[in-house]
Amino acid sequence: MLQYQSSPLDLAFQALSDPGRRAMVERLSFGPASVSELAAPLPMTLSAVVQHLKILEEAGLVKSEKVGRVRTCRLEIRAMTTVERWIAERKRFWEQQYDQLEAYLAASANKTEEPSE
Amino acid sequence: MTVHNANFTIERVLNASPARVFAAYATLEAKSQWFKAPSDIETLNRDFDFRVGGKERFHARWPSGMVTDFQATYHDILENERIILVYDMFQNGNKLSVSLQTLELRPEGDKTRLIHTEQGSYLVGGREAVVSREHGTTWHIENLMALLEGREQEAFA
Repeated sequence: MLQYQSSPLDLAFQALSDPGRRAMVERLSFGPASVSELAAPLPMTLSAVVQHLKILEEAGLVKSEKVGRVRTCRLEIRAMTTVERWIAERKRFWEQQYDQLEAYLAASANKTEEPSE
Repeated sequence: MTVHNANFTIERVLNASPARVFAAYATLEAKSQWFKAPSDIETLNRDFDFRVGGKERFHARWPSGMVTDFQATYHDILENERIILVYDMFQNGNKLSVSLQTLELRPEGDKTRLIHTEQGSYLVGGREAVVSREHGTTWHIENLMALLEGREQEAFA
């Protein structure tokens, strides 16, 4: 039985916080790719790509396997269980509410002075 | 019936005093300005009684036909400092979770650090089948793509 901890989710969010890694995930969302295919469009060295790949793998978002001399990467879209996705959704829901709270606070600050303190 | 316990924390530094942030929670008028769905929904019930022991409810039907029901009870309110509530979340009449939510407002200069700590019991008996039937396996890809593209996320509640 899965013992859910928040850390896998944190790892996933952390892994996706980097634009280079998001570009790699985006590429993999169209299908598996070799490390050099992944690296080709990116303005970074192959070893940097390998480092980023390691972070994505540790977060459970990407899996890679070496066949012969070629390491092929694929998106591990089943990495999250239903309950993990569900909790992630809940967290994202509240994040979204806070985006809206920030917008509301900015808009109401422009309209009026501070309400009674 | 299986229960999964999970905690998460969200921290935000908001560009407003704790008093203004607290005020955004304290009245239905203010809260409705930001605590809302990103898409057009039909509100079925909306209760709001912001005091210790008071209840809040947000019962709504989404364009997809999904019905969600947020039912909260305020357990602790300290003006400009803290709000603690317990909420049940239902989807299509099924109870998904019971959560203890603690909101702390800490002044940081003329800003406020909002610390949202949520301790939840997620009830998943038979629920996994419901989720996969309703959302299919495309859910994760769609949301991941939305995340990548910075588009508005499909919210849950």
